[in-house]
Amino acid sequence: MKIFSESHKTVFVVDHCPYMAESCRQHVEFDMLVKNRTQGIIPLAPISKSLWTCSVESSMEYCRIMYDIFPFKKLVNFIVSDSGAHVLNSWTQEDQNLQELMAALAAVGPPNPRADPECCSILHGLVAAVETLCKITEYQHEARTLLMENAERVGNRGRIICITNAKSDSHVRMLEDCVQETIHEHNKLAANSDHLMQIQKCELVLIHTYPVGEDSLVSDRPKKELSPVLTSEVHSVRAGRHLATKLNILVQQHFDLASTTITNIPMKEEQHANTSANYDVELLHHKDAHVDFLKSGDNHLSGSSREGSFKETITLKWCTPRTNNIGRSVLLEQPRKSGSKVISHMLSSHGGEIFLHVLSSSRSILEDPPSISEGCGGRVTDYRITDFGEFMRENRLTPFLDPRYKIDGSLEIPLERAKDQLEKHTRYWPMIISQTTIFNMQAVVPLASVIVKESLTEEDVLNCQKTIYNLVDMERKNDPLPISTVGTRGKGPKRDEQYRIMWNELETLVRAHINNSEKHQRVLECLMACRSKPPEEEERKKRGRKREDKEDKSEKAVKDYEQEKSWQDSERLKGILERGKEELAEAEIIKDSPDSPEPPNKKPLVETDETPPVEKSKGPVSLLSLWSNRINTANSRKHQEFAGRLNSVNNRAELYQHLKEENGMETTENGKASRQ
Amino acid sequence: MPTVVVMDVSLSMTRPVSIEGSEEYQRKHLAAHGLTMLFEHMATNYKLEFTALVVFSSLWELMVPFTRDYNTLQEALSNMDDYDKTCLESALVGVCNIVQQEWGGAIPCQVVLVTDGCLGIGRGSLRHSLATHSQRSESNRFPLPFPFPSKLYIMCMANLEELQSTDSLDCLERLIDLNNGEGQIFTIDGPLCLKNVQSMFGKLIDLAYTPFHAVLKCGHLTADVQVFPRPEPFVVDEEIDPIPKVINTDLEIVGFIDIADISSPPVLSRHLVLPIALNKEGDEVGTGITDDNEDENSANQIAGKIPNFCVLLHGSLKVEGMVAIVQLGPEWHGMLYSQADSKKKSNLMMSLFEPGPEPLPWLGKMAQLGPISDAKENPYGEDDNKSPFPLQPKNKRSYAQNVTVWIKPSGLQTDVQKILRNARKLPEKTQTFYKELNRLRKAALAFGFLDLLKGVADMLERECTLLPDTAHPDAAFQLTHAAQQLKLASTGTSEYAGYDHNITPLQTDFSGSSAERM
Repeated sequence: MKIFSESHKTVFVVDHCPYMAESCRQHVEFDMLVKNRTQGIIPLAPISKSLWTCSVESSMEYCRIMYDIFPFKKLVNFIVSDSGAHVLNSWTQEDQNLQELMAALAAVGPPNPRADPECCSILHGLVAAVETLCKITEYQHEARTLLMENAERVGNRGRIICITNAKSDSHVRMLEDCVQETIHEHNKLAANSDHLMQIQKCELVLIHTYPVGEDSLVSDRPKKELSPVLTSEVHSVRAGRHLATKLNILVQQHFDLASTTITNIPMKEEQHANTSANYDVELLHHKDAHVDFLKSGDNHLSGSSREGSFKETITLKWCTPRTNNIGRSVLLEQPRKSGSKVISHMLSSHGGEIFLHVLSSSRSILEDPPSISEGCGGRVTDYRITDFGEFMRENRLTPFLDPRYKIDGSLEIPLERAKDQLEKHTRYWPMIISQTTIFNMQAVVPLASVIVKESLTEEDVLNCQKTIYNLVDMERKNDPLPISTVGTRGKGPKRDEQYRIMWNELETLVRAHINNSEKHQRVLECLMACRSKPPEEEERKKRGRKREDKEDKSEKAVKDYEQEKSWQDSERLKGILERGKEELAEAEIIKDSPDSPEPPNKKPLVETDETPPVEKSKGPVSLLSLWSNRINTANSRKHQEFAGRLNSVNNRAELYQHLKEENGMETTENGKASRQ
Repeated sequence: MPTVVVMDVSLSMTRPVSIEGSEEYQRKHLAAHGLTMLFEHMATNYKLEFTALVVFSSLWELMVPFTRDYNTLQEALSNMDDYDKTCLESALVGVCNIVQQEWGGAIPCQVVLVTDGCLGIGRGSLRHSLATHSQRSESNRFPLPFPFPSKLYIMCMANLEELQSTDSLDCLERLIDLNNGEGQIFTIDGPLCLKNVQSMFGKLIDLAYTPFHAVLKCGHLTADVQVFPRPEPFVVDEEIDPIPKVINTDLEIVGFIDIADISSPPVLSRHLVLPIALNKEGDEVGTGITDDNEDENSANQIAGKIPNFCVLLHGSLKVEGMVAIVQLGPEWHGMLYSQADSKKKSNLMMSLFEPGPEPLPWLGKMAQLGPISDAKENPYGEDDNKSPFPLQPKNKRSYAQNVTVWIKPSGLQTDVQKILRNARKLPEKTQTFYKELNRLRKAALAFGFLDLLKGVADMLERECTLLPDTAHPDAAFQLTHAAQQLKLASTGTSEYAGYDHNITPLQTDFSGSSAERM
């Protein structure tokens, strides 16, 4: 349906003249005596609604159905007409609900039967209806503004539903003429106005209603074009429930609705819990939900003829869910003659709104698709599934209903923020376990989880620094790292090499974020200051003797260092591929697997590192002292010294002093070592 | 989008084509040549398409039911006999039946009609069908427009000049018009020869059978993918926004949502997202679908071992029970999720939502969805035990609130009974009694149904006289008070009949010694 079709604007014009106070002559028993009541009481006399009451409640029902199915963009303007026109609401969305209309109707009250019929007329209302149709709605305004030079595409059509008691066919003709003339006049006015729109198409639905038992003085007439702008139809309807039925049919026609009756709904109330009591509910919904029935001509429509008006509804059976897995949803089944069961629809509720879904019951064009494991990347077995799951949870969405503004005052779009965050979080994100070391290390988590943030707090920076110190400590203790052995022959890189790989990767991660803020840069500075780089590395690099070193396994540990292996090294990837048929499961290397790098006791030389630094003066110089000396001298020139290192003794324990302290004390005082 | 190839095997298709050289071709040979080309293309680039083959003359026959086995289709092409005259209408009716039986009325299908532009003679000829088109009843309605979303491609084994020399082209154009303009007529450019037939079918392939390639992106993580079936352009509102919307070739993930929160949303269409390996020229190397071709197999094997973002995403979506929200264009979104079929296979799927700022009311406006880290506190709770969804609609639906409808007498009677039931349990039910009473009062005032107020007042007064001796004295007071108030409201005078005015319980004190008891 086009947004600006006739259904965008509906004007109700309800007659409020004295004769509408007449009874509809259809009685309602309201005093229903309960069985066990005292005998001998005569029930109160039944009452009957006035023509006005019937008209108002039927039109309210029309609006109720329309608002329920189209909460937006389908608007009603309600006008009552007597000695003048009373416009009860406007086109604005806030005015579009039953409560507003009911309150306004209560203020109008029933027609006064003693008013002078001579000065009352439905014409006042019809003229006002045309006038109001020329008024632009907020949706039309928005669309026109948006379309700029194509603003003429925004249509102005509408429907006038007029409920009145006409005197004769010629009276009806007079009403139509009046509407046509008024449209002509107002279109002239609108042509010269920025705030009004010309009416392109108006559907006039005239409903003549009269008390039950009387003869109608007006004959029905199907839709007829009175002019290129105006069509008119006349319905002559008895008041009471007949009028309500008529408006129910009309609302379905006007808004492309159809009816489904759901049967076999189990009673939920306690008193029926153990009985097999069922009930039926009729639902109205967009007729697209019946598209399969209509096109296939599958004829199990159960029609019921009521009072001459044929009412079509499709019956579907409620399938009580056996498990609660589906949540707030119920499947609906088509009753078929053959006895075969077809689930064709689903009812579900979201936030108190009920939705009817059409389910496909025919063959799927997507049947037997190739499994994802057969396609690209399908043979890789060590994806970081859990980590990415965590990533997804961190990047979940939530509604931000209040507008937010950027620093420059422009409106911030939450969805753009979400994209920005994804960009930051994926700057360095290896997809498989064997492609990463740092993300396999619990020790790196405190840094990795905060470095991706847009801005860091002082505490974040401190946590990052702690993480780095902790890694330095691990390296000093020569703790094994979860380095992948995939793509390398033998036992994989030596421990020192492993740490270099790890530091390189960590550097890559941190570098990816240094432009986020000055605090991110501080983390990198700390990393660069602490990471293990042998003093002569740069020189060796220049000599470019990487290759030979790689093969020479007998080389000393110090030389193995030199192997330059960047983390984005494509060589590694190639290695993985070259392995061909070799078992890929191997790639899932975990810290403790037998394949992981050599156990620490194989390295007596580094073991001595654990002994007090007094040894520094004699014997071979340890790697730790080598690099820390170098770093110290370099840093003393460039940077303000770390508080911890300033207080150091022999360049060793001091670095982690506050860390130990905090761990021991369980209290953090901004990370500063206050205890001596 | 399944395809039905409808092949004309009437005698006119055996008309020879004059070609230099010794070999003599008939038009049906040209047609078979073109179709072979189409089938070969599909077998390599469009493998998941289901295709059926129908032949027709005055009768029609389903030669090959819907299949992805292009060898079978190819074989059938070489086993076609020649029959009598062309009778297009019955063949199109046949297509309707075949498609509806297999796919129902909602799945879009492409119908490739291959004919020479001789439209038959007499009854059953297209001219006859079109001439009687306006006199059809519902029972013998013309098969066009097809009762399912469709494209009708008419491949003419004739060139434009030949078709224009008769009214054939006009008739064929009428056919497309009758199919609501959905479709196109292809004719042979220049002389009828194999080369020109190829170029005609090449145009069809370009139009309707080129695979949709895209790049799936999540920040810096990307993967080349094929989306199958091709997402079709979508027209939102032909008046306001007449240009069909086409989805981006960059499918950008904007965030994630739990399956339970997105629930089962309405979608326009569902598509497989297949990771593909593209070589430098942008040609597809392997979609991972098994094939006999050995080269392709080894290429597939290599591609299988290169980590691919689709596989990672799929795995995590499956394990976590989440969907990824993906941006398809301006104000157009969809979702990616893992779908398992009955066997142990599962797949990355993409569903397209209807274009617009708010396709799913319970998520609110898409543009207003932002990262949880921007929220003051995690809306999912520290233990992941809450959810910000579903959003409640601004105005509750009538069925989610206590709306008064008295169109059926039973509605009115139920409301009156409720008041009566509570009236008999006064003073315990004072609150409910007045609540129901006020609800009835409001509705009666709005509907101008003042007689009802009088009637209920009378009823309450009668109830008062029927109170048993054991009744609490307050009951009589409240009933009398309520009846009085209703009567006042029924006068319609503004001071008592205010819509927003509520009847409040009469303040009574029967404790006598309430001060002490306090």
